[in-house]
Parts: sequence; C-alpha cells; structure tokens
Amino acid sequence: MRRAGVVALNTFREAVRDRVLYNLVFFALLMMIAAIAVGQISIGIEQTVIVTLGLSAISVIGLLISVFIGVALVSKEMDKRTLYALLAKPVRRWEFLLGKFAGLVLTLAVNTAAMALGLVLVMIYVKHTLERSDSAVLVAVYFILLKLALIVALALMFSCFTTPLLATLYTVGLYIVGLYVQELRNLPVNVMRPAIAAFTKWLSYLLPNFENFNVMAMAAHGKAIPGAFILQNTLYTVVYCTIVLTAAAAVFSRRNLK
Amino acid sequence: MKLQNPIAWLLVLVLPLGFAGIWRLQHKIDAQRESLSQESDDVLLRSRKLVKVMSLEYAPLLADIYWTRAVQYYGNKHVRGQANLELLWPLLDITTTLDPNLVISYRFGAMFLSQKAPTGAGRPDLAVQLIQRGIQANPEYWRLYEDLGFVYYFDLKDYLKASEAFLEGSKRPNAQIWMKVMAARIAAEGESFETSAFLWQDVYDSTSDPAIKKNAKLHLQLLKVREDCRQLDVLADEYAKRYGKRPRRMNELVWAGMLPGIPGDPLGFGYIFSDEGKAELNLDSPLLEQQLLIDRLGSQHR
Repeated sequence: MRRAGVVALNTFREAVRDRVLYNLVFFALLMMIAAIAVGQISIGIEQTVIVTLGLSAISVIGLLISVFIGVALVSKEMDKRTLYALLAKPVRRWEFLLGKFAGLVLTLAVNTAAMALGLVLVMIYVKHTLERSDSAVLVAVYFILLKLALIVALALMFSCFTTPLLATLYTVGLYIVGLYVQELRNLPVNVMRPAIAAFTKWLSYLLPNFENFNVMAMAAHGKAIPGAFILQNTLYTVVYCTIVLTAAAAVFSRRNLK
Repeated sequence: MKLQNPIAWLLVLVLPLGFAGIWRLQHKIDAQRESLSQESDDVLLRSRKLVKVMSLEYAPLLADIYWTRAVQYYGNKHVRGQANLELLWPLLDITTTLDPNLVISYRFGAMFLSQKAPTGAGRPDLAVQLIQRGIQANPEYWRLYEDLGFVYYFDLKDYLKASEAFLEGSKRPNAQIWMKVMAARIAAEGESFETSAFLWQDVYDSTSDPAIKKNAKLHLQLLKVREDCRQLDVLADEYAKRYGKRPRRMNELVWAGMLPGIPGDPLGFGYIFSDEGKAELNLDSPLLEQQLLIDRLGSQHR
C-alpha cells in the first residue's frame, strides 16, 4: 500500500505540474461575474443561482478533469514508456492502478475543496451571512466528489483495455446512462415481456446510479440532507469503486504490455 | 516583427482595416437581427418533460436560467408596452418543472400572469394553475396560499375561493395571523377598500424588487383614487340633495363647507368633477394615464 501511496503522490504532483488546477481561475471569474450580474437581470434568485451555478461549475469542471485525465492515466504512461520502468521496480500492477486512482482523486479533492471555498466566499458576499441550512451546499460538494471518484474509477477501467478515445466515449456514455437509471426503473414493465422486465430491473441496479449524488436542488433551497443518506452514498461509492477497480486490476494484470 | 517584411506591412494594414470593417459589419448585422428578433420570440423546446430529461443533473441551474428568461421576456414586453405575453406560460411551466421548489417563480410568475395588461398577461386561470402546482410541491409554504387568495380576490373576483385560500394558508406553519382575519373579512364583505389596500401593502412591504414595488405602489395609489372618488361622489350626492343640482367644480363643495379644501390625489393633483358630475382624476395627474391604460387594455382582454 505504501507503494500505491507513492504513485498517488506523484500522480498528484504531475497534475499540478500539468497546470490542471488553473481551472480555478476560470471558476473564480465565473462566480464573481455571476455574483454581480444575476441580481441585475433576474428577480429573487440571487442566492439560489449562486449555489446552482457554483455546484454546476464544480461538477462540470470536475467531470472534464476526471474523464480526460482519468483515461490518460494509464495510456500516457504507456505512450511515454515510463510504465515499463515503473513496473520493473517492485510495484505490482494493481498498486500502480490504485495509486493512479488515489492520485487523481486527491487532485480532484484539492480542486473541489478550493472551488467550494470560493463558492462559500461568494455566498457570504451575496447573503452577507451564512446559515445552518447552508451546510447542505458542502454536502452537495462532497457528493460531487464521490461522483467524480466513481467516474475516475470507470475511466481508469476502460483505459485498461481500450484506446483513450473509446475509453472517453464509454465513460461519458455510462455517466449519461447513469443519470437515467431511475427512468429505466420507471419503464412500464406491465407492457413488457417478463424476461425483458426482469433484465431492465437487473440492469438498473447494475449500472452506476449517478442520480444518487444529485442534491443540487436541495442545497439551493437550503433543505437538510439526512446523515443516513450521506453515509449510504459514501458506502455506495466505496463499494462501486472497489468493484470497478478490482475489474480494472484484473484486466490490467492480464494485459500484454509488450 | 521587422517591418521590412512585406507580410508584416500587410498585417499592419490589414489588422486595423479588417477590424474596422468587422466593427461596421457587426453593427449592421445587429440592426438586422434586432428587426428580426421582434418577430422571433420563441421558446425552442416547449415540452417541459423533454427539457427536464435533457437537463441531465443540472435541472436547478437550468430552472434559474429559464426563470431569468421569463423575467427578461416580461420586462422587455413591459418596457415596449406590449400586452401580448403568450410565451410567459411556457417559460414558467418549464421553470417550475425543472425546479419545483423555486417558489419565487410561482409567486412572481402568478403575478405576471394574473394581472391585467399592461402589468400582466391577463390570464388569472393560468396563474391559479401555476400556484396550485406550487402548493402541491411546497405544501407548507403559506405565502403561496396568500398568492392564490390574491388572484381569486383581485382578478377572478371569486371571494369564496379567495377566503378559502386565505383560511387554508392560515393553517400552515409560520403563517401570519392576518391570513385568518383576511379569510373572515373576505367571506363576510367580499371586496372592500381596506382589504384591497392591505393586500397590496403586503406585496409592497414583502418584496425587495423595485419593479414589483413600483407596481404595488401604483395599485395602492389607484385604489386610494378610487376610494377618494367614491367618497367625493357621496358628498356630491348630498350637495345635490341640499342645493338641487350636482356640483360642477370641487370649489363648490368647499364653499358649501363640506370640504376643508380641494382634495388631492396621492401625487397632490386636485380632483375634478366630470361633465356627468362624477369625481375623477385631474387631467394633469400622471396617475390618469396609468388608470386609462389599465382600463383600456383590461377591457381589451375581457
């Protein structure tokens, strides 16, 4: 595990060197403009829009980083041939994968935390105070981070057996499908054949449910998010990531790197 | 960059001339688009379900954008003095589907929909539908019942339903005590100056938006005018009984000792009597134009 930690730390350093955190400047500018402009062009949503815009920006920026850097984690090392030097050392392939995953999640955590801080500062600027109900915003940020961790795991898994382009398409596709899992469950099963209905239900539980992490509306309206829900989502992410990373490790350990 | 290079010379020439040309062209295109856009107000996606599905996980942000669009649409029409607000309902419909908890869109949306032109779309039926949808999504929010009662009271003149809405709202958490009083008063009296003035005063006090405040203030002023004119007509009737003819000028009531001086409207312009002997606003009063506009466009909508 210590070796995975070293890989993780280096992945984080590499991301910082690659100026991944420069997106924070864009986020800061977006929030500043929104804070000033929205009050002028709309009615009564100055506070709501800051939260929804802030959370959406955190989510979109995080998604772009997790998908595009996630699929490049393995392929870049292979293209540069640095992977061979690394695997010649006493580092197991699964440790390498785990380290890469942890490193990108750490990068995303730092990035998301910085954006969350910016969001809170803008909220203070707009509202002049913070209330207890605003803690829902921090929970929403935490849920975004959980979602991003799951996306990184998926991107990493796909990149273990296919090209970066296809891995990107698969990850984005699965993310979009994961947003409509609830719709899949609500299909009119009574008009389907029993086998199809059973398959649909089975599939809806197998696919990652990204709608679980969507509490943006609750955060925007200051509604409390139950502690049990936070725990369930955390466990869901841990279990799902474990499954995906295990599958990725299995594929990667059998991959012919010659 | 060495200026001996012919391409560099060309660039020095092309850059300012090119951008000057672009600048002029863009102005022309803007003018062209402006003339087109007056006829091209549209909501591309009218299906609220489709918009909701396409919004991925960003429905609340999209709701804010649609709400801002609704406000801008209403504001632009209001500034141009156009009474046709046919896209207001689709915009509000989509907004409230995307975020059913965005209570501001029900509250102000209903106000935009329900009032007579030029201040609204003159569709109180849609306003009721919007607020009822809001109540379904936010059943504990008492202000929505107040808004429902408001529409029934002012726009639909259905005092029984208005009273019921105020009574239902009074049972919600944190509801103001006057909700129950309003319910009882409307049930007993129907429309009255005191009730109307109280409701508009509450709109004025509870909003921070300048446009809504201005609208509420105008309604309060016009209510005061209506009540003043009613009282002056009562005095004129009494004058007619006493002297056998209706007063032609306000001075006659003052000379008869029935008024201490010539009464003024909320802007300070003295009231006058019409040729029919009814009290009305002075021709110089800016309130007269507002009153006539509301009466004229209101009758067109009916």
